[in-house]
Amino acid sequence: MKQYYDDLFSLCGFEDEEINNERFRIKATLEKLELGPEDMERADSWVRQYHDVSLMGVRKLLGAWLKELIDLVLAKEDGKKIVYYGFPAILGPGLMLSASSDKVFVSAPDMVLDHTMGQIFNKLTPILEAGEANGLPPGHAMCSLWQAKIGGVVKGMIPVPDFALASSYYCDMGSKADDLVTAFYGTPMAYIDGIMDSHWGDFPDFLPERVEYLGGQINQALKKAEDVLGIKIAPDAWEKSQENSKQFRGYLVRLVELMKADPVPLSVVELELLEALSGSSAGRGIREGIKAMEILVKELEERVKAGIGVTEKGAPRVMVRLGHTSDPRVTRLLEDCGLAVPLTFILGSFGGVRVEPKGTYNTPGEIIANYEMTGGYYHGTEAQIQFYEKAAGIMRLDGFVAQYLYNCRPVATISHAQKKYLEEKTGLPVLSLEIDNFDSRTHSADSLRTKVETFAEMLKAKKHK
Amino acid sequence: MKALEKLDSHLQSRLTDLNKLKEKQKIIGYTAGGYFPEELALACNAIPVCFIQAGNNNILRDAGAYVCRWFDPFWRSQIGYLTSGRDPYYNIADLIVVPITDNHVRVFSNTLGYYTPEKESFVFGVPHVKDKLALEYYHKGIIRLRKKLEEFTGSEITDDKLRQSIALCNRERELFRKISLMRKSGSSSISSKDFIKLNHASFLADKEFMIEILEMYMQEAGETAPRTESGTALLFTGSTIARDDYKVMDIIEESGGNIIIEEFAEGIRPYWNSVNTEGSLMKNLAESYFMDRVCAGWFRPGTERLNFLIRLAKDYNTDGLIWYHLMFRESYKVESHFFPDMLKKETGIPMFVLESEYDDMEKGPMRTRIETFLETIKR
Repeated sequence: MKQYYDDLFSLCGFEDEEINNERFRIKATLEKLELGPEDMERADSWVRQYHDVSLMGVRKLLGAWLKELIDLVLAKEDGKKIVYYGFPAILGPGLMLSASSDKVFVSAPDMVLDHTMGQIFNKLTPILEAGEANGLPPGHAMCSLWQAKIGGVVKGMIPVPDFALASSYYCDMGSKADDLVTAFYGTPMAYIDGIMDSHWGDFPDFLPERVEYLGGQINQALKKAEDVLGIKIAPDAWEKSQENSKQFRGYLVRLVELMKADPVPLSVVELELLEALSGSSAGRGIREGIKAMEILVKELEERVKAGIGVTEKGAPRVMVRLGHTSDPRVTRLLEDCGLAVPLTFILGSFGGVRVEPKGTYNTPGEIIANYEMTGGYYHGTEAQIQFYEKAAGIMRLDGFVAQYLYNCRPVATISHAQKKYLEEKTGLPVLSLEIDNFDSRTHSADSLRTKVETFAEMLKAKKHK
Repeated sequence: MKALEKLDSHLQSRLTDLNKLKEKQKIIGYTAGGYFPEELALACNAIPVCFIQAGNNNILRDAGAYVCRWFDPFWRSQIGYLTSGRDPYYNIADLIVVPITDNHVRVFSNTLGYYTPEKESFVFGVPHVKDKLALEYYHKGIIRLRKKLEEFTGSEITDDKLRQSIALCNRERELFRKISLMRKSGSSSISSKDFIKLNHASFLADKEFMIEILEMYMQEAGETAPRTESGTALLFTGSTIARDDYKVMDIIEESGGNIIIEEFAEGIRPYWNSVNTEGSLMKNLAESYFMDRVCAGWFRPGTERLNFLIRLAKDYNTDGLIWYHLMFRESYKVESHFFPDMLKKETGIPMFVLESEYDDMEKGPMRTRIETFLETIKR
């Protein structure tokens, strides 16, 4: 018998058979998330308004996020041992744990909540408020991803993890907030430590001890995970963990080619949906995401052939760091102002700029660390800014909307330097835009509109000269 | 006290003296946090000077041209001083060394490298966990630092010179330790503000002169009669206490509080441990500066420091704890949420949190809150 959630799940790419098979799990999930019939109506309207549901690939992507959400919310009931990692993360360790045992569920739960409770149900605020009330108060530029994670746990929407992998190589806030989880629930954790101690001008070089240290920390974390979770890391865990990633990246490479078209065939709102999935899921979400991308890429090929796009042909093309994880209105603003976004930092890093690690290492930790150091994201600030410059070479860009997350210190370090650097190196105009990429309450689309509109008008005028 | 007067006089002429000394010796500026072993600079006949000035909101406007607001104001102050030249110690330094701890220090390091490339600088990383791998990483960092200093000064750091420097710095640490322990009774004539000012001075003054001052100060303090009214005994802790950031201490004293012990990651020299002068000296420096000292709040987990605070609160028999951190230093903000329960459970004393962005407008609300906290303790 049809239930109150059927239409929404169908809109989000679920087949009838899938809904029927998952009825019990869907119901249990929605109950835990305090979502009722009224929420489904609101979500239906929200999704239709802000996502491109004319593309089946997009609908399936939304479905992939929902499937990841269901598995996350019910992981304890499913008898899984739950491992959370912070976002952004060096994914290797989490993927290896996931590849080593069916009994382990590995996830970035904050990202899952953002993409579902935010992007689909538009009901993230109570979760953020619960995070604020439990150690991460407003007004202190605290990470809103962490507010979502703590809020979700405190409200009982997502389970308390059995183990946590702390991204101690990147942000200070994340590891400290992991301490908060330990203080509340006694959750054991492994801090994967590293230090972004590059001197300006070092990149692309780095000291071998950086790989040895970060790699050693990853190896230690994997060992601790084995002890805490009572599992053995499979000898082929690294290779197995790469299976999904390789497929996903393969599609991203094809997508980069498609995004070179004018007009750009896909909104950055949907681009964000698929980019973020690879950094948030080690399970069903990413597997379903790959299926969704297969469909999406074909649909976009058709669009490109037909000259269909999400902005007008000839619209100024800008690169952004990434789309908003929880509120599609903020991301959509760019296109509403007449800007085409063919490239994001993440798309560039996965599908555009090739990274060839130097040196040979034998342990999984060091192999992963070497790759990450070469890639640059965890190398230092300069490497991140240079990446924009390189990625820009992939597309014919007219400018950059160089966002920086005010409440994410590792990203906020580039607040001023990236604008100066990119303008000097590329000669392209740069809008430096302060945002909160995970929470739109203080940095809403409307609050950003004046800046983006003015920049867009300037680019249009320049282009039509 | 005469020692303090003599020290003031030394500091007043310090820049002039350094300008003269600069003709023959290199001046090594370094950033706060206690991870730069001054011994290495002293052993190559250089003069270490720590950048410890902050507390004035105006300098943050200068920093605003280089970085957004959402960083710790102490580190934004350093950016302001570096780029504006308004702290002459930045202008006088021949080399700037930055031990990178958290992202607040990293943003300073980026500014230094990108915006002021004409200033020669050297960075090395300080891990955030304490284990064998981390110790090795820090050890390698200070080995690179040693090499850099030798090249930069043209002076080899021999074991003998290094041992002498360690002995000198050990003496300074020992004196700070003894002065600190003199305050245990709660009625000592040594005020917290004097103790902190001595610390700040020790980052700028000539090392041997500073040791003389500390010896003199200790003797004078021992001869001074204890205070008859000692006020509410307090433990004062936080991320950073900068030179000229004294308003909170002033308000506490004016409100009847008596800070008898402090713990700060930046602004107070780690003085509880000495460096071993036997065996591998570089390893000993790494052990002491990284492993033995109490970790800062950005270490994960922060339990070692929190347990240390509990121990201090018990040992010094304090009635309350004032936790003073600077805005946007997230490690301290998060810990301030769950530490009060730990502290209450272990010691029975209450904790009170103050935050600052070096704004004079903070004074009024701070005074009301501090007075209320102290009244609450008295009852």
